[in-house]
Amino acid sequence: MAVQIVMDRTGDTRHEFDVADSNAVALAEERFRQLTGKGFRAVALSGDGSPGKLVEKFDPTVEQTLFIPQLQGG
Amino acid sequence: MERVRNLLRALLRRALSEHGQEAPALTDITIERASGRFEPRIGAHFANGYCTWAPVRADDCYAVCERYGAWDLPSLRRALLVEAHEIYGRVCEEHLAEMARLRARRSMAAAFFDRLRRRVPLGGREPGSSRETPEAVRSRADQASRRQESQRRLLEWWAQQRNDYARSALFAGGVNADVGSKRAQERGIRLLKENLTLVQRRQYEKYGYFDVTGGMSGKRYRIRHGRQMNIEQLDRNGRRVCGWCFFPHGSLVSGDVMLGQKTALELYEADALRIANRF
Repeated sequence: MAVQIVMDRTGDTRHEFDVADSNAVALAEERFRQLTGKGFRAVALSGDGSPGKLVEKFDPTVEQTLFIPQLQGG
Repeated sequence: MERVRNLLRALLRRALSEHGQEAPALTDITIERASGRFEPRIGAHFANGYCTWAPVRADDCYAVCERYGAWDLPSLRRALLVEAHEIYGRVCEEHLAEMARLRARRSMAAAFFDRLRRRVPLGGREPGSSRETPEAVRSRADQASRRQESQRRLLEWWAQQRNDYARSALFAGGVNADVGSKRAQERGIRLLKENLTLVQRRQYEKYGYFDVTGGMSGKRYRIRHGRQMNIEQLDRNGRRVCGWCFFPHGSLVSGDVMLGQKTALELYEADALRIANRF
């Protein structure tokens, strides 16, 4: 199972999907496109706290993808 | 048992609120074990891949076990799923009714504005014109009083809308009850800690900050617990060089903000500093 973690006001929302299920993968890809289209950055988490990797294109093999909203200066 | 029902209702309402009119099919209910100081969680899974979680107490689960005679995890999940389907049906009906009410209210408002526009025509005779007859003056006074009345009604209507909106499920205990709440804060901190190295986690737990190395420059930054003005750039001796302020959009909880800042400094440092304000 892969998971897409979207940061939001409730902490985070997790969308799990089965990489073997083509419908679920298509939905996950659509979500990826929508979020990155809104300015979210997708990051493949390493799982051990070390720097992950920026994900430019949807990759269903990434186990955990974190979506971070666009940055703003304070 | 009633607490579990309320919990399920809140989860299902949250799912509906995020999907508008299209109610996704409920596929599963799962229970996640407690980890560390975090409580066990109950999750509702939907056909479109969406899932939503809320903490659940052990005695609540016990109440369900007792009621359904389900003493192992698979049967407990089945029992919860049956219960959730029943609640989901009702919640969907309520949701559709609420949408219909909102639509009706919107069309009422549109009709009201239309009436208002027709009652208060733009333009007309210039006030203070020297050749005005007493009838014209009376008519103008009448028009002005009607306008005042319309404005008063408009303000009343607006106040009513505002109060209704504030009372609506969005802000009440149901749908997004955990927006910015303690639970949301805890979830944010949990996500942060899951994505810190062992050293960073220890540093954060002990001192309330953790150090990050810039992915591009190799510079050292210190992220303190907080949501803004919480980043310091350090020199080789660990002394403060300057402060940086940037954070992800939206009213995110502090855990998410700090994780966003860490990730930005590690993976797209130049972009982040270009946006950031230096202090």
